[in-house]
Amino acid sequence: MDRITIAIAKGRLGDEGLSLFNNSDMEIVRDKDSRKLVFSDAGGGTKYIFVKPSDVVTYVEKGVADLGIVGKDIMLEEDKDVYEILDLNYGKCRFAIAGFRNSYNKKKDGVLRIASKYPNYVQSIFENRNQRIEIIKLNGSVELAPLIDLSDVIVDIVETGNTLRDNGLEVLEELDYISARLIANKASYRFKYQIIKKIEKILDVSR
Amino acid sequence: MRFTTIDEELTVTKFKKAIEREIEGYFEGMGFNLIEPRIFQKYDEYVNSEHKQDSTKTVKVLSGNSRIFILRPDITINVLAEIFSKWDGEPPLKVYYNSTVYQNRPGGKILENHQMGIEYLGAEIPRGDIEALDMASNIMASIGRPYIIELGSSKYLDSYLDEMKLVGPERAELKDLIAKKNRHGLRSKLRELKIDGSILENILDMQGHMEEVIEMAKKYEMNKDMGLALEKLTKIKDYFVDKEVYENIRLDLSMVPNLDYYDGIVFKGYCLGNSTRILSGGRYDKLTEEFGLKVSAIGFMIDMDQITSIRMGEKSNG
Repeated sequence: MDRITIAIAKGRLGDEGLSLFNNSDMEIVRDKDSRKLVFSDAGGGTKYIFVKPSDVVTYVEKGVADLGIVGKDIMLEEDKDVYEILDLNYGKCRFAIAGFRNSYNKKKDGVLRIASKYPNYVQSIFENRNQRIEIIKLNGSVELAPLIDLSDVIVDIVETGNTLRDNGLEVLEELDYISARLIANKASYRFKYQIIKKIEKILDVSR
Repeated sequence: MRFTTIDEELTVTKFKKAIEREIEGYFEGMGFNLIEPRIFQKYDEYVNSEHKQDSTKTVKVLSGNSRIFILRPDITINVLAEIFSKWDGEPPLKVYYNSTVYQNRPGGKILENHQMGIEYLGAEIPRGDIEALDMASNIMASIGRPYIIELGSSKYLDSYLDEMKLVGPERAELKDLIAKKNRHGLRSKLRELKIDGSILENILDMQGHMEEVIEMAKKYEMNKDMGLALEKLTKIKDYFVDKEVYENIRLDLSMVPNLDYYDGIVFKGYCLGNSTRILSGGRYDKLTEEFGLKVSAIGFMIDMDQITSIRMGEKSNG
């Protein structure tokens, strides 16, 4: 069998993705607390590498990993040249514009300040809207921004909406649907088509 | 490429030049003549043309009288403009180029990408397709590593979308989902458009060896143009089936070219161990019409920077 390398996002999304391989011949046994970044399955045919979520797409585009498991949010932000072959149907949530009630409408004539971890995505959403915007790139705790008047609204992923509610914010507009995806390098897809098809079957739980 | 020592630079340049000469010799042996594209193109003409790529990526140059020019971002269109101002369609024309394209990259960098390639104008269709594919596979084989030629037909998919009267954003969205091999996205879009259960549902499975994919595709109902597209692919298959390269060809009817001017076969060359295509091309008859004369036209380009680095690597390994 061809050797195949799969890049997995570190954290919950990746752990859950990895568990989809359980009970297949590609399963790996991993100590959750381990700091090791590279694991192989028992047969040695599959190598898993654990990387920062936003880097998964880069590893796959550059071909150091043949496949990757990553959130659609990263795909929308990074716009890399890879195949997006499977919706893994977990990690489901939405991109949304959120803020205080009315904070969106009253800004129609001025500059709307938007805090987000996803500046490219925000840019693409507002490209054809008649709204001048200023994007404030943050790396975490985005919900804080409207509370301290750093921004008018935020664009972030919303799963349950609890964090928003706890902070007195609400969803003002729902945007793209997000979930975990299986992505593939274009050259790998050709050379390892058979094994990638096999992995698709293992992971496609929706069938 | 960046070098640490002058010796290294001269060695690599010499090696690269030798590959260029080899390919030039091959092209000339096949009856192709060198054409030199212009380096500057008028910016206004470029942004007004139908087939421009992202114009923010073009490298602009200001002339003495403040006119804006761009450094050529693409060779085919550039060469066609030159040819069609002087050629009236007869007899068939075979040209090759050995040239550089320029593109803006993030961080203010300018990418210089060295490309060689051919344009074959006015040939009969199956013959032109076969000749171009044959040359492309010979070049891939000369690299000395396992390779795959990915072959598709933009006509097959486009004819179906035409028949279903899918236009504008819906068509673009469907093509984008197919291009990304996004099975679930495609499925739900088809449901939304109420055309689930159609041939598009299975288009992502239509890839593999030529014979099996053509057989698979024949099982679906199709219109005349889809049938014609398959007929052409069958002729190509018949030609290559006994050749050594046949094992390296993968037909993929879900291939969507990233340039919209292709309207017939499209192909890409991948080399084992390289993460991107190193060769790409296809048929673009439709494009020639914009230059005032519709003729049969096919061509491909080779990424010389990649070929050089692969062959350098092979050389130092063995």
